[in-house]
Amino acid sequence: MASTNQCLASLARLSLGPASRRPAASTVPTFLLPSVSSPLVRHATSGSMKKKAPRRKKLSKTFRSHDLSNMEQFSLCDAMRYIRAFEVGKPPTSVKYELALKMKSSRGGPVVRNRIRFPYPVKSDTRIGVICPEDSPLMVEAQKLGAVAVGQDSLFESIRAGHFPFNKLICHTDSEEALKKANLGKLLGPKGLMPNKRHGTITSDIEGTMRDLVGSDEYRERDGVVRMAIGQLGFTPKMLAENLQVVVARMKKDMKVINDEGFTKAIDEVVLGSSHGPSFSLNGKFNPTDEKITPGDLESPM
Amino acid sequence: MVGVIRRMNALREILWIRNGPGAAILPPNVTKIHLEFARKMEGGHMGPRKFWRENLPRLKFWNPAVPMIVNRIADPLGPAILTVYLREGGGPLAKADVSQPSSATDGMSKAPPPANDEKVLVVDMKGLRSDEILKEFLKKTSAVPVETPLEEKMEIQEIEDLRRRGQIDRERNAKMLQEQRREKARLAQAMSEAAAIKASAT
Repeated sequence: MASTNQCLASLARLSLGPASRRPAASTVPTFLLPSVSSPLVRHATSGSMKKKAPRRKKLSKTFRSHDLSNMEQFSLCDAMRYIRAFEVGKPPTSVKYELALKMKSSRGGPVVRNRIRFPYPVKSDTRIGVICPEDSPLMVEAQKLGAVAVGQDSLFESIRAGHFPFNKLICHTDSEEALKKANLGKLLGPKGLMPNKRHGTITSDIEGTMRDLVGSDEYRERDGVVRMAIGQLGFTPKMLAENLQVVVARMKKDMKVINDEGFTKAIDEVVLGSSHGPSFSLNGKFNPTDEKITPGDLESPM
Repeated sequence: MVGVIRRMNALREILWIRNGPGAAILPPNVTKIHLEFARKMEGGHMGPRKFWRENLPRLKFWNPAVPMIVNRIADPLGPAILTVYLREGGGPLAKADVSQPSSATDGMSKAPPPANDEKVLVVDMKGLRSDEILKEFLKKTSAVPVETPLEEKMEIQEIEDLRRRGQIDRERNAKMLQEQRREKARLAQAMSEAAAIKASAT
């Protein structure tokens, strides 16, 4: 009995809430009652103390496709005019035009993923790592071609130590077994660096693959959208339009392969943004709407 | 991808660039604008920086063909100068005339000397506020400010209202959250004290 009194006294001190004027006994929550009384009294409310996990909303089978009739859309030159104004005074090689290509796509089907070579290259900071047998002529060849990290076990060691001097990684077929045994999927996979036959990054032609990688950019569908940089701020409207056409044509080809397998995939919306500015949904036209402006006006140095 | 309405609300930012201080059309004989100031604000470089961030985008939007180059230097003791290049003949600029290094953050893009038929106007921006710089610039170049159309005025008003209502909601939510957290903390304290008493009693 003594313990009950002690407990009530402590509760009076604490004053749990504004309702503390009521008799103390009624404010005592069940979980605060001393264990002495609990074997005798069964509380009807005790069951409801356990919270049910909130039921998860069921996801639709396809990614949502928005009604674009309310979306203001822009011609390429109009979007470029806005973006160039927002990015004025920034170094024009490091600021990029960015593309988001929304697709009508199902969740959990095959995704669009490929490499593309632009008519006007966007990036210039590709650093390639090559996995090939140590002390082989291949190693020398790869180093000559400008690989930043070459080797097999030594390279695996440095990857395990968390050292990634490269942002692209390819593997020679001779080292494929060693790569499998090294068990690096957990480290390389999340960064998208794991060499893979399907993506052409496990290869017997190191030179050709490296050439491909240097001038090309990778793209990949995530949540039904492909996002990639398609131009530098200093590009003219014509250069950007050409890069854009190449991307869209390539994407259509990729989607056709997936369509033939029996999955839906189609372009829904094309959005052009930039590193720091807002994004503009494109309407597929090229010329500016303002008659006083010509595409040539958007070619001045930034 | 984010829904249409939210994106359209975000895109109303373009009203900001079409209207406001700096929205002005330059006379056709302006061939180039060059700004030079320090990367950091100490030593009177805040005004030039504000001018670049707030007024220059509007100017660039209304005059897309005029190169506007910003050269930021590391030294806060260095100059803060706005240079406007004017063509003497008054005719529009031929494209081949424009040979100009692009904007830089490492001070590598110095203002070039004027060409034969060009003269320069210089505004010393050091220590000036951005609105003072803009006033000086508009006066010297005799640029014509752009009038805000009525419908855009109304839309701007709408955005203002939305922002104000959002602020009220934010404050209310913050209060509610704080109250919830306080209640939770109180409960946790009570429980730990009760546990302590229980432990001491047995």
